[in-house]
Amino acid sequence: MLTKRQTRLFFVGGTLLFAAIFIGLTIDSHRQFATLTNADQITPAVSAGKDVWHAGNCINCHTLMGEGAYYAPDLTKITQQRGTPYLTAFLKNPSQFYSEKKHRRLMPNPKLNDEEIAQVIAFLDWVSKIDNQGWPPRPILVSGNTFPGAGAVSGALETVVLSSEPSVRGQALFRSTPPGCSSCHSVVANVNLAGPSLAGVGARAAALIASGQYTGTATTPEKYLLESILMPSTHLVAGAMYSAGGRSFMPDNYRETLDPAQVANLVAYLMTLK
Amino acid sequence: MRYRSQWVAYSYFTVALLLYGLQMVFGLLSAAKYLGPDPLLNVLAFDVTKEVHTNLLIVWVLTGFMGATYYVVPEESRTEIYSVKLAYWQLGIWTVNGVVAVVGYLFGWTEGNKLLEQPVPVKLTIVVCMLLFLYNIFMTIRKSGRWTTTEGVLLAGLALAAILYLPALLQFHNYTVSIFYRWWTVHLWVEGVWEMVQAGLLAYLLIRLSGADREMMEKWLYVIVGLVFIAGILGTAHHYYWVGVPKYWLPIGGAFSALEPLALFGMAIYAYTAMRRSGFSHPNKLAMHWAVGSAVFTAFGAGLLGLAHTWPSVNKWTHGTLITAMHGHAAFFGAYVMIVLAMISYALPHFTGRGENDTESSLGYWAFWLQIGGMFGMTLSFATAGIAQVYLERIMGVGYLDTQLKLQVHFLMLIGAATIFTIGVAAFIWDFFRVKPVVWTTPDVAEQTPVTV
Repeated sequence: MLTKRQTRLFFVGGTLLFAAIFIGLTIDSHRQFATLTNADQITPAVSAGKDVWHAGNCINCHTLMGEGAYYAPDLTKITQQRGTPYLTAFLKNPSQFYSEKKHRRLMPNPKLNDEEIAQVIAFLDWVSKIDNQGWPPRPILVSGNTFPGAGAVSGALETVVLSSEPSVRGQALFRSTPPGCSSCHSVVANVNLAGPSLAGVGARAAALIASGQYTGTATTPEKYLLESILMPSTHLVAGAMYSAGGRSFMPDNYRETLDPAQVANLVAYLMTLK
Repeated sequence: MRYRSQWVAYSYFTVALLLYGLQMVFGLLSAAKYLGPDPLLNVLAFDVTKEVHTNLLIVWVLTGFMGATYYVVPEESRTEIYSVKLAYWQLGIWTVNGVVAVVGYLFGWTEGNKLLEQPVPVKLTIVVCMLLFLYNIFMTIRKSGRWTTTEGVLLAGLALAAILYLPALLQFHNYTVSIFYRWWTVHLWVEGVWEMVQAGLLAYLLIRLSGADREMMEKWLYVIVGLVFIAGILGTAHHYYWVGVPKYWLPIGGAFSALEPLALFGMAIYAYTAMRRSGFSHPNKLAMHWAVGSAVFTAFGAGLLGLAHTWPSVNKWTHGTLITAMHGHAAFFGAYVMIVLAMISYALPHFTGRGENDTESSLGYWAFWLQIGGMFGMTLSFATAGIAQVYLERIMGVGYLDTQLKLQVHFLMLIGAATIFTIGVAAFIWDFFRVKPVVWTTPDVAEQTPVTV
């Protein structure tokens, strides 16, 4: 049987040993922090944005990299799901975007000025690029019900799509992130997420062009969809939650991030929604 | 109770219990906001009620720890406290500081860093209070030249808690690095040195209440706190999942977190065996309920429910959901709330001169079972809500807001269980204040003199 002296030795020795290992690993972690977190991209704006984040007590409702409170959505990858114009307009007045009647919860107006808004978005964008072992394993969406079977899928497209049919490839692309079309657009009628529902958009496009309210240059539904993807501000869908100052909240960089074949596939898929 | 200066503890317990009551108000408000809609949205939003709720918990539990220490140390070292006046001053500064912090939160004066929201002046005052406290206790022991293993473990825990608060004062440019060091304070407190305090108080109570052999109890105390640290120090790694630190923290977190329940189950077996072997030599069975209950509830809330989501391949899906709230509530209640309430229940008859038998403490039993039942219900509410959340939001891909709407029934259950819990807390507080304390005159000769040191 152990004596008291031996058990004391077990306590002191065990604690010291594991504390030493812990400190060793901490030193090694410091060697890697800069690379893992892209420390060279911590600009003054990112730093200031971190201060805005703290001053606003954001962490006591939201989570960031899964840490915080559980009362509001996780914001780790929010800048990959919502463009800067959208986030800017949202932070100016969240009640324009979500209704407390519908979700029983609403973000109070954080009362930030334009500079602070730009800074906190810069901070969140820096966070979204931290190498955090690929978490979350699938995108965490803010709102919307993507049933049935229309959920976003992250990862390489090639592994999911075997068909060469453009509309099938387009559908897979629509659901995958990035670009994450489905994190803002549902394909169910009347389910409007950050962007308008695309249910029946193929048929509606033809009617829109014929209506005379259309402000773009497209002459066919296919061309209209192409224009909407590549130059989303050409024709604006009505509503303060979709655009501000003549500029759509939809990211306008798909010309760079998608190749023409992918865009064509998306158009082919959207044309099937009738 | 054999020493006049142990009376200091009564004031500490009074402050602790008042803050405990206030914590319930902010907890119930937060739960109601989960159900929504929130009429106080622009006056007192969730971020503030939640922040006040968790900060009050930390403050009142620490107040309870300090009071318990002022009660234990004179008996263990067989001397009066070095300076009673200093102890009251320390309590005064501590309480004013706590009230200032809470009022500050209501007006948005916060650092916005989870659990370490205290603004810098408040943090510095906390450090000053802890140093005053440690100085007073250290001088007490020095004066007597006598210390026991039990109080040694208790004090080492409190001293390390003060040291580990220092990383909380550091500011980092890089958010990931600040997360890394935030856990040095938060994790190493609650899964390290606070466990040491809990184990120390538990050993003291078991020795007093069950008449268990001190040599035996203190020997196993070393084994338990040894296991706590062996698993707990590297167990910090389970907070380093998915936050931008090197990959190797994942397997380390998985392996050492799996070891953590070992110490906690050890503690439950330790308490139960002491009770079985030595029986109740002490009439205060209510305090025994709280003490053994604390060890058992810790094994459940911290051990089992912690293990339920610390494996990396599980945590990948449960990270940042209500599953964490489930574990957090049960763990804090079992380990820290219950051990402080055990100390208060043990000490109370000595302050009030009331009897220690069962008829005298029937309200105390109501307080015990309502809190146990209420907390069990809250844990189940968070668990069921959390499981549903993980499946709908994380696996099926339903949006966060729409998922929360589907959890309404769980939030109703949460509010119901929380109400039962709060009634239990109210009963405990009422029971504490219903008998006036008596002025200390002569040493309590009925109290057994400790034999071994």
